Amino acid sequence: MPIIEVEHLMKDFKIAKRETGFAGALKSLVKREFITKEAVKDISFTINEGEMVGYIGPNGAGKSTTIKMLTGILVPSGGHVRVNGIVPYEDRQENAKNIGVVFGQRTQLWWDLPTIESFELLKEIYQVSNERYKENMATFIDILGLDEFLNTPVRQLSLGQRMRADIAASLLHDPPILFLDEPTIGLDVVAKERMRTFIKEINKERNITVILTTHDMEDIEQLCERMVLIDHGQKVYDGEISVVKNRFGKIRTLVVDLEESKRTLQLMNGEVFKEEANRYWIRFNREEVSASEIINQITKTHNIKDLTVEEPEIESIISRIYQEGFEEISEPVRN
Amino acid sequence: MFNYRVYWTFAKKSFLRSAVYRFDVWSRLGSNIIFLLMWGSIWTALYAGKEEAGGVSFEAMLTYIVVSQFLTGVNGAGTPLWEIQEKVRTGDIALELMRPFDVPLRYLFADFGSVAFYIVTALLPLYTVLFIFMDVALPTDWLTWVYFIIASVIGFLIRYCIEMSFGLLTFFLVETGGIEDIFYFAMSLLSGSVIPLWFFPDWLATIAIYLPFQGIYYIPNSIFIGEIAGLEILTSIGIQLFWVVVTYLVLRLIWSRASKKVIVQGG
Amino acid sequence: MTLMRYIELYFKLVSAGIRAQLQYRFAFVMRIVGMITSYTGTAVTMWVMLYQFQELGSWNFYEMLFLFAIAVLSWGFCIILFFHFRSLDTYILNGTFDRFLVRPINPFFHFMAMKFDVASFGQFIFSIFVFIWVSYELGIAWSLGKALFLIASVVGGVLIQGGLLVIISAFAFWTTKSEQFYWVVMYPARNLTNYPLVIYPKLVQWFTAFVVPFGFVNYFPAAVLLEKETPFFPDNIGYFSPVVGIVFFLVAYYIWMLGLSRYKSTGS
Repeated sequence: MPIIEVEHLMKDFKIAKRETGFAGALKSLVKREFITKEAVKDISFTINEGEMVGYIGPNGAGKSTTIKMLTGILVPSGGHVRVNGIVPYEDRQENAKNIGVVFGQRTQLWWDLPTIESFELLKEIYQVSNERYKENMATFIDILGLDEFLNTPVRQLSLGQRMRADIAASLLHDPPILFLDEPTIGLDVVAKERMRTFIKEINKERNITVILTTHDMEDIEQLCERMVLIDHGQKVYDGEISVVKNRFGKIRTLVVDLEESKRTLQLMNGEVFKEEANRYWIRFNREEVSASEIINQITKTHNIKDLTVEEPEIESIISRIYQEGFEEISEPVRN
Repeated sequence: MFNYRVYWTFAKKSFLRSAVYRFDVWSRLGSNIIFLLMWGSIWTALYAGKEEAGGVSFEAMLTYIVVSQFLTGVNGAGTPLWEIQEKVRTGDIALELMRPFDVPLRYLFADFGSVAFYIVTALLPLYTVLFIFMDVALPTDWLTWVYFIIASVIGFLIRYCIEMSFGLLTFFLVETGGIEDIFYFAMSLLSGSVIPLWFFPDWLATIAIYLPFQGIYYIPNSIFIGEIAGLEILTSIGIQLFWVVVTYLVLRLIWSRASKKVIVQGG
Repeated sequence: MTLMRYIELYFKLVSAGIRAQLQYRFAFVMRIVGMITSYTGTAVTMWVMLYQFQELGSWNFYEMLFLFAIAVLSWGFCIILFFHFRSLDTYILNGTFDRFLVRPINPFFHFMAMKFDVASFGQFIFSIFVFIWVSYELGIAWSLGKALFLIASVVGGVLIQGGLLVIISAFAFWTTKSEQFYWVVMYPARNLTNYPLVIYPKLVQWFTAFVVPFGFVNYFPAAVLLEKETPFFPDNIGYFSPVVGIVFFLVAYYIWMLGLSRYKSTGS
């Protein structure tokens, strides 16, 4: 059953043009010209109850604009949105009761107060019953280990602790839908892992629908089965993660620093796509060749000073998808 | 070695930057006009139709206030006190210690840029119109204009040194509440910006005479309307020069202490 | 949500705000000291101004102090309730305003209840001291009626100044700026009304009576209490202060909500 329906969603913004130079500076003092930017051009998708979907795209692709329209913060310029049967911008307060929102970089908690007080205030704001509050707090304390910092002011929490508190705060009123914007940004490996486990658990056990935006490929790989990929305000891909992963996830990049050498680097199974001084970036398919084979090849002709192997980042995958197109394999899985 | 080009670049940059923040220019001009209206009305009401008071004609007094408001505009276009305090708190200024230029000078030149922009685009047009249409007494002697400009520039430098010093105190204080209030009080009353020193009670006038603030508004204003004239002009400018040196030394002292603190304790 | 629920919630949010502020005790005390210094500075300026001239538009030093103290007192309450409205632009620019929009309560209410700046003791100490001093110097005979009128006009003054802060913050929805509007519009306007309005050109007096009704914050009520004349205006116009306050604040609230709907269609 679809819990979120988005049809031909559009959003335009007007932005002021920046003038340059002395004359421009004086001119902009009096008059400014505006250009229209289509942040979201025409996006449609549906999300079923209990699904966990990665909503992905490079910076400025229109991700947060879409999320803002789903949460009722923004009114669309065109198209339709329904979240749990409610049109968010028409009935924002009703919609707010159905959703939980976590912005990774901005806390929703009261900065100067002990963490527990934020929970108590949110309980009042969302009118959560005493029983439900106690039950939920018990669960969150248990799974997220909130008890270690409940009496610490929010400003003194580590980023990992703050994220745990923020996510618990967003779930206090049992929303059927959860929006997570960069929930693991800035966290260390352990904290990231913990966060992912928790998200997985609440998605499964409480059947909460989760929409996740992130730059971290690991998040998506571990959490979502489906991803919606957008760029320049349009949907580029909507379907299973595994398809993308199989196609692009096997590409690795080897970065080597070589000692001074006159010979250029020639490789059989890898492609040098960038070089700077004595540093080379080599792209290879890990199913065709292993990193050590490539390194062996290089050491025959050159001396390696240093090397690293890089996993593909979501940004680079997206940019490759965008460059190469997805047509040949993008038979939309849904819609 | 003094590298003119670097500082010139700062001045130019901040001139251009001012243009981007066009709203700042209009808003500052707006509040400048309101305060001019306020002080103009107050002095009109205080004179209450009398031709002169305390040996100063009403026309000269009104001119004093208009000139003072013009200079307030000039002095207000630089980096304000709260912004310096903010930059100290966020560590922006500490970071600039690593750069190959002198920080107080860099801010002074940046101020030159924004002040120049503000004078050219806002203050000069407005006050030219005011001087044409209002009943004010302009100096007839070109030399008075020259002295006035010199005194205003020195006054600007005194104010800069004092304001920057107050701002840099933030390095040493946990909380600056009260400090800025004292600064603003001295700036408005003791400088003679709104009430000329000759209307002060004697004891207060004596205090004001021995403080640097009078060099910012009282001296240039009084030169403009001819209350300070003849040889007195030169002694007044001499006093200003004395204060510019003193306040500059104070600024250098505070700055070197602040730099040391940054280097030793990391801000 | 019912009104009672909102009132209950307001006190919970506000008490949280106070506790948050009291975490910085030293800053709290220093701000109070700073406020008193700054108001005393203005009072000294008034004194110096009248040292030679005795009167400003037929108001003597003590009467002016009284006028000033009414403005300071209502401004003190205004700081507690509404002063944070001026920085709505910062909330919008760094995205924190959105959190008020993902919650199931009225965003105006939520934003208003978010802060409760209790550092206005400076204003209270200053104005109460002045009231006592001036009452003694001018021999004002306080009665219950006069006291009630003073309280009512302070309420009116709070609503008028709070209303203007709300309108200024609403500018942020259209222009992404509000703090600056405070400094260019309200700060000078507040300074203007520290002095009896009678000294200003008629146009300005008319403007401060009927457009941005700052005259009702202190000038008209003070004229009633001190039995001064208000040329160009009916005598005892000051009795309208509370009504003007309520109307002006309602207009301000309407403008804010209008701005909010504009924000929702442009996003910033």
